[in-house]
Amino acid sequence: MDATALDDPPLTRTQWWSLFGKGAFDAASFPAWIIMLSLFGVGSLARDVGHPLGAAVFSTLLVWAGPAQVIFYGGLAANVPLPTIALAVGLSSIRFLPMTMAFLPLLRGPTTTRFTELLAAHYISITVWTESLRRLPAMPRRQRVPYYFGFANSCIWLSALSTGVGYLLVGAVPGPLAAGLLAVTPIFFTISLTAGARIPADWIALALGFALEPIALVILGPGFDLMGVGLIGGTIAFLVGGAIERRRA
Amino acid sequence: MSDLLLPYVLLIVVGFLPTEIWRSLAVFLSRGLNEGSQLIVWIRAVATALLTGVVAKLMLAPTGELALVPYWGRGGAILIAFCAFFIFRRSVIGAVIAGEAMIIAAAYFARAQLSF
Repeated sequence: MDATALDDPPLTRTQWWSLFGKGAFDAASFPAWIIMLSLFGVGSLARDVGHPLGAAVFSTLLVWAGPAQVIFYGGLAANVPLPTIALAVGLSSIRFLPMTMAFLPLLRGPTTTRFTELLAAHYISITVWTESLRRLPAMPRRQRVPYYFGFANSCIWLSALSTGVGYLLVGAVPGPLAAGLLAVTPIFFTISLTAGARIPADWIALALGFALEPIALVILGPGFDLMGVGLIGGTIAFLVGGAIERRRA
Repeated sequence: MSDLLLPYVLLIVVGFLPTEIWRSLAVFLSRGLNEGSQLIVWIRAVATALLTGVVAKLMLAPTGELALVPYWGRGGAILIAFCAFFIFRRSVIGAVIAGEAMIIAAAYFARAQLSF
């Protein structure tokens, strides 16, 4: 286990920025496009409730969570009471707790400050998370922070741009392509999670998420279903996956 | 309150804070956790199950134009993308394009059926 081993020498300023640039370039060469496509539609939702262009762009920079942004603007459009919208947004974003907790130890080194971690946590989205879990473990620890911030900044700023363009081009996308835009997120999540699965627990969790959600949606309702699927599916996957690995060993 | 500021205040209080609280909480709860620890393996499994749950939910209870795509088109797109990922030697781009082709084709098919 490499844990906090720091055999690699400290980075010079030039090396830091070159890694930042590499991360930004890697994101812009594909993963960022996924989030750009999925947040394109948020612009039109913001426009529908009469909010200015700036607020639409800020919603991507600040909230940085497609489902939460859809609930926020959808709730306002349907005149849902504000505390109810806040609760629904909060429930939809619970995934960031286990995601961020699983991610930070990957980024953290002995010199990482609390502020750096809070900032890094803000950029966590499903795409950034799955791609980071796939890319960072192979990198020397000191190189991870600049690469991650380059990657994540590229994703968030390109997506903010896309939300703005979506705001201006509202209604210009024909129906079947709009369906395609909405499907980018679930299709990419599936593939990205598949690509990132390494140990048996990952594969079992992946399958159980699909299998349990239809049941959870009925039993737990649309507010707590995902929390139930995560805790039950994740725990089963952890226990069964661990047993499989012990048997192999 | 000024009408100009209201959208931004709503965004921060009702949209940003309820989301950011989970990310910030994680910073404090993950103190001292090690990359290879069993707790992290469990937390990652929880996050993974939750995320595929999100995918299933988006496809089971779709919104907007996606709701007009028949269920076989939505389920088929995920399945085709998954298979394409391995057929195209683990190409993420190839898989996404294959899945998207299925969704858009199914959407055109559904629309053609509607117009009869």
